[in-house]
Amino acid sequence: MIDFQNIKKISVLAVAFVLNIGVMEAREIDPPFGVHEHVFEPLSVMCDLCGCSTSSGSFGFGTLSNANFVGIRYIYQNFESKDGIFSNSPITKETFNTYQLWAQLPINDAFYVSVNVPYQDLNREYSEGNNENLNGLGDSSVMGWYKLQFYKKESDSLTFNTERIASGHSLQFGVGAKLPTGKFEEALADNVNPGFQVGTGSVDGVFAVGYNYGTNKFGVNTLMTYYLKGENKNDYQFGNQFSYSANFFTTFPKETYNIMPFIGVSGDVYDKITQYGETLADTDGKILSGTIGSEFAIEKFIFGANYTAPLSQDLFGGNVKSKNRFSIYVNFAL
Amino acid sequence: MKILKYTIALLLSITIASCSSDDDGNTEDLTGQTGDLILKFDNGVGDQDFIFGTTYTKDNGETYQLETLKYLISNVSLTDSDGNVYTYPAEDNIFIVSEANGNTAGEIYITLEDVDAANYTQVTFGIGIDQERYASGADGQGDFLTTAQDEGMMWSWATGYRFMRFDGTYTSETETDAALNIHMGSVGTAIDNYKETTLTFPNEVLVREGNEPSVHIKADIAQVFDGVTSVSFDDGYAQVHTDETTTGVIATNMSGIFSVHHVHND
Repeated sequence: MIDFQNIKKISVLAVAFVLNIGVMEAREIDPPFGVHEHVFEPLSVMCDLCGCSTSSGSFGFGTLSNANFVGIRYIYQNFESKDGIFSNSPITKETFNTYQLWAQLPINDAFYVSVNVPYQDLNREYSEGNNENLNGLGDSSVMGWYKLQFYKKESDSLTFNTERIASGHSLQFGVGAKLPTGKFEEALADNVNPGFQVGTGSVDGVFAVGYNYGTNKFGVNTLMTYYLKGENKNDYQFGNQFSYSANFFTTFPKETYNIMPFIGVSGDVYDKITQYGETLADTDGKILSGTIGSEFAIEKFIFGANYTAPLSQDLFGGNVKSKNRFSIYVNFAL
Repeated sequence: MKILKYTIALLLSITIASCSSDDDGNTEDLTGQTGDLILKFDNGVGDQDFIFGTTYTKDNGETYQLETLKYLISNVSLTDSDGNVYTYPAEDNIFIVSEANGNTAGEIYITLEDVDAANYTQVTFGIGIDQERYASGADGQGDFLTTAQDEGMMWSWATGYRFMRFDGTYTSETETDAALNIHMGSVGTAIDNYKETTLTFPNEVLVREGNEPSVHIKADIAQVFDGVTSVSFDDGYAQVHTDETTTGVIATNMSGIFSVHHVHND
């Protein structure tokens, strides 16, 4: 049976979300291409691949079962950036360690809040062997979510007053902000990679829509997130970002614990960086990654681990390469 | 449905609220303000970073490697977005770009100090020494005369400056590791090989008090030999010193090797 009421709701919200993105995009002014005859090659490494972008997006805001929790998460990522403008320029290796306090807190049956407070520990190693380290509180984010739960249509109208049965389908709508709790230092070294920052220094709007389906045997989680990046005090504005992810998980329930392995894809698309009102050439990019992992739930605790590797990428003129990342977490279900 | 309406209203209002207006940029008063500007020269051969001792191949198959690579840059001026031209003070407006002085990334920095604050859109500079500076006599050269002598960038005073100095060896079908010396310059007042080039920036360069913007200039060494004119080492271009024809060809090629790769407004 099809629930027309629900389909109508879905389409109205989907249209509203698309319109919102449309409005955001309309603000972007195309750079004046064609007038710069001396520019041949991409700008060297400038990106939003800083630890700050790990606070959410394709990393997800919560756990597979979408339960409320408080927990800690560790994320390891490594990158290679080209240190120079030539094809044989030396490579700088970057390692980002992120320690997060994260939580999904219920307000009532339909609304909840997700919070994320990261601590960043960033390292880079130059080709000649010297190292640089940067650490500190990263950019925190707060999101408010509305969960639209779909129910099975009652076949008998006489049972109207009894409790409805969840269909397993649900939509989530999230609106929030990423706050400049991390420090953005403009003149970091010799700007090999200005994305090597614990924070962006900006307030960013975050808009998300997700679709989940779950039974007691398997489930699907999808999420699309749009980041409307603000300008920081240095007139520096990272490019707007669109992130998406889809994960498929199965459940192996045991008597005292639950194992949920999952596999998924995720990706990010970045707009160009703007500085002093001008867009900077070749600061956009995109990446598609594959993820495998598992959650293990025992009593109130959920343990998770996953590994992500890029499937295809073209970041910032090819000057930055994401290598791989993994994360582990422990959550306490509320 | 009430909640649905509220959600849509919330999404819309946040979107509209985040569309801020920021077109207040051009009212800044820059009178009397100065700042520094760095020109980073980065020598390469095609898309490869230039490295001493590496063998490079010309279009005609001749190969070369260099152990000295330096050239003179002078008369740097900057044009701002209103078309005003700022010229760096003449007495300091001459520099030697020497690959040997490069940092670990092979970039040679020229720092222009106390440049008038403005939004610059292009840079113009000369390769070598113009006749006016040469005509100001040995005393008019200031400290630079000694610097140039120390760097081997002078013939005699009467002949004048070497505008560039590429020393190394080359190999062709007939020669193996033969000497290669490209010492192009003007010859007294008889031959004027001074040439200027103008490069447009991909983004405006904002010179301000306390800021240190930089312009990354790529110099394609390959175009010295395969530029406007392709030259053959075997055919008189292994030793370029004071000959009117060969120095003129190299001077023209040399003026076309520069491009701005990007700028940083930090």
